[in-house]
Amino acid sequence: MSATLSSHSTLPGAIKNLNVAKALGRRRSRASTVVKALCVLATLIGLALLASILLTLIVRGFGGIGLGVFTEVTKPPGSNGGLLNAIVGSLIQTVIGVAIGTPVGLLVGTYLAEYARGSTLGNAVRFVSDVLLSAPSILIGLFIYQLVVAPFGGFSGIAGCIALAVIVIPIVVRTTEDMLSLIPVAMREAAMALGAPKWKMIVQVCYRAAKDGIVTGVLLAVARVAGETAPLLFTSLGNLNWSLSLTKPMASLPVTIYQYAGSAFDDWVQLAWVGALLITFGVLAINILARVVLRGGK
Amino acid sequence: MKINTVLAFALAGYATTAVAQAQQITGAGATFPAPVYSKWAESAKPATGIELNYQAIGSGGGQNQILNRTVDFGASDAPMDAAKLASGNILQFPAVMGAVVVIVNIPGVEMDALKLPGELLADIYAGTISKWNDPKLVEANRGVTLPNLAIAPVYRADGSGTSFVYTSYLSAVSADWKSKVGAATSVKWPAGAGAKGNDGVAATVRNTKGSIGYVENAYATQNKLITVQLRNKARQFVKPTAAAFNAAASAGNWRDAKNFAVDLIDQAGDTSWPIVSATFILLPKDPKDPGRSANVMKFFDWAFTNGAATAQALEYIPLPGAVQDAVRSAWHTEIKNPDGKPVF
Repeated sequence: MSATLSSHSTLPGAIKNLNVAKALGRRRSRASTVVKALCVLATLIGLALLASILLTLIVRGFGGIGLGVFTEVTKPPGSNGGLLNAIVGSLIQTVIGVAIGTPVGLLVGTYLAEYARGSTLGNAVRFVSDVLLSAPSILIGLFIYQLVVAPFGGFSGIAGCIALAVIVIPIVVRTTEDMLSLIPVAMREAAMALGAPKWKMIVQVCYRAAKDGIVTGVLLAVARVAGETAPLLFTSLGNLNWSLSLTKPMASLPVTIYQYAGSAFDDWVQLAWVGALLITFGVLAINILARVVLRGGK
Repeated sequence: MKINTVLAFALAGYATTAVAQAQQITGAGATFPAPVYSKWAESAKPATGIELNYQAIGSGGGQNQILNRTVDFGASDAPMDAAKLASGNILQFPAVMGAVVVIVNIPGVEMDALKLPGELLADIYAGTISKWNDPKLVEANRGVTLPNLAIAPVYRADGSGTSFVYTSYLSAVSADWKSKVGAATSVKWPAGAGAKGNDGVAATVRNTKGSIGYVENAYATQNKLITVQLRNKARQFVKPTAAAFNAAASAGNWRDAKNFAVDLIDQAGDTSWPIVSATFILLPKDPKDPGRSANVMKFFDWAFTNGAATAQALEYIPLPGAVQDAVRSAWHTEIKNPDGKPVF
């Protein structure tokens, strides 16, 4: 590069400047091309990984999908078992976990955005919530184990629900606060100017304006907890049999996958692939739904 | 709306299942026996009315859960520490046994063709024998063509009961191994590469030319892997067959084993397979719910009497009849109601 420049340095001023400018331009566009290529490459690597995960799941899992997967409970190797109890158990625990966690998260998020902006207590709550957001989920499982399972003397579906709720809370807190913070001050002032009390302003103006974002946060929380194994291992444990009782151990898809995937028996391994396929595409569908809801609102 | 529906559904389900599943028992622990327990559970349900929920959370987890009394029974591949059994007031009894087999992937070497004396196996895992055409291996295998190929030992990277049983065997047959490496659920392997789980070892050996590994027998048969013959205490080479496993199980010194913690490694007998071990059930001696504990014993009583064929079909070794009777009498004398009467 410098060699090219110096060979032109004997030329008169104007042309020389022009050449320098051209050389600089070439250099910048080259640098830009390299950076762009690196970005595209990084994107492709990310996409390729996602595509290969999805493709592997489809190739390995699709062959195992049959009516039996949805009508039979988990059975021993060679007995044509399905995943019914695991699917239903996952649905119940996810729904109840989110139902417990969402109101708490929503209220904490509201407190942070509307009542505690800049206050010390607010900052402390925000910090703790963010720490909780990135806490390893196995710790949350052990926490609920000590809090619920050990004192009550047994694994139970409700313990699983509570563990999932603890994971849901910080996710909903974060999205709720972020969404409420985006609402223009002018809008709040307008509501206040009309004589609305603060709670009415929050419920009827802020919530309404932030609705899509908050719903997206809840859907993302659903997607997160639907695939959690660690917090359920030591709370709801799993159940080989059909059981809807919240006070007894309850089956779930991730725990079933975890136990079947390393088995010696082909039918269990196949069911693990099917379960992984169901969860992944379920979570993918929820994520896509979340995007659509968010986009639809704008 | 949707949440309410599901909640109502769940609550309704709770109301009905609370009556229908009065006989449910919960156990947790070792991964190794999970398939046979779940198969026994399936067959025992119509016969006994007991619904077993067994969850494979690992042997360590099984021991902790029964100490915390969060399950009706725990399960562990390694026998529980005698002091812990005493302080936790727990009865330990064997439920079923299993064998560990050695698998290889050497071009041209067929099923059960290779013969490996234990000390050479230890040398291979110690890294001192590193080629398949090593003179010592050739010497032990006249008639088998061994290629000039590097040996790639594969071991369990995760802590595992299988590793404990396997390293116990290597320690029993090689003084060098015993002093330098020893026996544990995870050891500092002198040579080779790790893989996670029995399935991981099986897959690595299948995909790597020149590799050797050890897995529970079910993984070798289900994946049709090439096993080898091992030399037993009577200095006979034996193939890994059900008969050889049973011979080792019967040869064990069950009578003198405290807490049934019998050592089945390298047993006497011309036909005994050298790497066999039992897996254990842990049951509180002072059950807080004697009815559920009685159901646990009823379940295993049924499994001992009727479950042998099922166990063998899934590559497990049923308990010898005499041992079953010893377990039954231990139930009777050890597990008591609060009023001191036997639970079962």
